[in-house]
Amino acid sequence: MASLNRLLARSRVPRLANIRRFSEAVSHPSNRVQAYVSRSSDPYLNLSVEHYLLQKSAPESVVLFLYTNSPCVVIGRNQNPWLEVNLGLLNRAGLLAKTQGSSDDADEGVALVRRRSGGGTVFHDEGNVNYSVICPSAAFDRNKHAEMVVRALRSLGAESTRVNERHDIVLDVSALASSSGGGAETYKISGSAYKLTRLRSLHHGTCLLSTPNLSRISQFLRSPAEPFLKSRGVDSVRSKIQNVRVANRDFEEAVVAEFGGMYGDVDAEIITAGEARHVPDVMKGYEELKSPKWIYEQTPRFTFATHPTEEDPRERPDLPDYLPKDFKASLVVRHGEIVEANLSGISSSSIESVQVHEVGDWRAMIGDSAGRWFNGIFGAQPDQDRTLVCTHDVLTS
Amino acid sequence: MATSVARCLRAACPSTLSRLTRNPSVRTSWQPSIRAFSATSFRGIRKYTKDHEWIDLNADKTSGVIGISEYAAEELGDVVYVELPEDGKVVGAGDAIGAVESVKSAADINAPISCKVTAINMVLEEKPGTINLVPEDDSHGGGWICKVSVDEQGVKDFEALMDAEAYKVFTGSEH
Repeated sequence: MASLNRLLARSRVPRLANIRRFSEAVSHPSNRVQAYVSRSSDPYLNLSVEHYLLQKSAPESVVLFLYTNSPCVVIGRNQNPWLEVNLGLLNRAGLLAKTQGSSDDADEGVALVRRRSGGGTVFHDEGNVNYSVICPSAAFDRNKHAEMVVRALRSLGAESTRVNERHDIVLDVSALASSSGGGAETYKISGSAYKLTRLRSLHHGTCLLSTPNLSRISQFLRSPAEPFLKSRGVDSVRSKIQNVRVANRDFEEAVVAEFGGMYGDVDAEIITAGEARHVPDVMKGYEELKSPKWIYEQTPRFTFATHPTEEDPRERPDLPDYLPKDFKASLVVRHGEIVEANLSGISSSSIESVQVHEVGDWRAMIGDSAGRWFNGIFGAQPDQDRTLVCTHDVLTS
Repeated sequence: MATSVARCLRAACPSTLSRLTRNPSVRTSWQPSIRAFSATSFRGIRKYTKDHEWIDLNADKTSGVIGISEYAAEELGDVVYVELPEDGKVVGAGDAIGAVESVKSAADINAPISCKVTAINMVLEEKPGTINLVPEDDSHGGGWICKVSVDEQGVKDFEALMDAEAYKVFTGSEH
C-alpha cells in the first residue's frame, strides 16, 4: 500500500530536485492520481498550496492533499469575522492548552483565516488533520470523499463514524459510553466545505483527532457583537464536537490508503514549507489570503445597532453602565467599511468611510466610554502592537 | 403568432401597419424579417456556456444580460449568498465575475464572453434565493446577475456558445 513512511524518511534529506518536481508534477497530464502531505503548519501557506493544486493540477487528475495547521479560526468565504469570531481573544496568549515541546514563547495566539470555500467557521490546531480532494467537476459529489474518510477512520477502529445529512462526519457515542449518562449522543468530528470552478472541484474537510483544546474552542467562536450585528452571507451551525482519538500519522496513512483504493495506488509526496515557498503562484495566493482586504473586506454587508431597527428588530441586551444613558449607535458596513453611521448621546468625530478592522483604538474616534465598548465589541486591541497581529509566518526552510 | 406580430407592429409604428394594409404585395416580403426583429428585441438572443451561464445579446449586439441556467440553479441547491461582480469590471470569456454559495459550496460564475459589467442585480444581495426561483428571468425582480456591454471580441465569443436546443442536449448528456 502507499508508503508514507518511506517518503517521510526520504524527505529528511533536503533535495532541491523536489522543488522543481512538486510544481512540475502537479500539472503533468500523466499524473492522473496524486497525493501530497504538507509538513508546514502555516494555515495560510497550506490553503494557498491547496488552491494551487486546484488551479494547476491536470484537468482529468484526482489529487489528495493532507495538512495540519497551528491554532487558527477559519471562517467560510462569505462569512463575517466580527459576527463569527471573538476577535479580541485571538491574539491573547495563554488561552490554549500547552502542546508537547512548546514553551511559553511559542504561544502565538490563534490566527484568523478566511478560506476560499463556502460553509461555516471552524477551529484548527495540531490535533486536527485536514483532508482535501480535488477532482474534475463532472465527477463532483458532496459525500463521496467524506465516505472515503469514514472508511479510513473505521479501518483505524473508529467504527461508529458516519457521514450525516450535512455532509459532515459524526461520531455516535452509545448511551453506555456517553459521559453525560443520558442517551446516545452524536458529535461532529469533521466539517466539509467545497469550492467549484470551471473544470475542477475541491472538497475539503477537517478531522478532529486529538485536540487538547476541546473545551476551549467555543470561546473563540462566540462574538460579543452577536446581539447587535446582522449580516448578510452565511451563518455557522453550532455542533457539539469530539475527538475521534486517532494519531495524526495513522490517519494520514489510512486516508492515503483509501484514496489509493478508489483511484489507484499512489505514493504520497511530502511538501515542506520551503518547497511551497519556492513556487511563485503559491506565494501570490499566500499574500492574498493574509491580506486584510481578503480577511476583512470580503465580508458581506452588515448592520450594527444598539437598539431594535426595522432591518434587525431583535431586542438588545442592556448596555454597560459606563455608557451614557442616551447613547445610541447604528452602522451600515460594506466591504468592511462604515458607509453609514448614526451616533447619539456622545460627541464623536465622523466615522464614515472608516475601515472597521483598521481601528486600533475606538476611544480616539468616539470618546472614552463608547470607544471602550466598541473596542470590546469589535475586538480592537489598543494595548497591543498591531504590527504583530497579522504576522504568523512559519519560517521553516 | 400573426396577431402578436400585428400587435407589435401597431405599438411600434402605426404608420408601417397602415402602409402594409395599403399594399399587400409588400406585406408578404416584409413579414418574415419583421417577425425575426420583433422576437429579438423582445427577448434578445440567448445562448449558454458549458459552465451553465446564459447570456442574452441585444439585437444590435452591443449589450447583454448574464445569469446562471435553470439546470445549474437546480444542481447547486439553495443559494444563500451571491457575490456580485464589480460594476465597471472588464473580463475575458471564462474569467470569474462573481460567485454563488449553496450547501457549503462556493461556485464561480464565469463571464460567458468578453465584456464589461455595466449594472448588477442588487435584488440578489438581499434575496439570493431569487436565483433558485427565476434564474433565467432577465426582468426586474428576476435572477439575472449583471448587465454588460459587449465589443467585437464579445460578439465573436458569443457565436461559439450553445443555443437553447444545443444546451438542452448538453445538459441531458451530463447525467
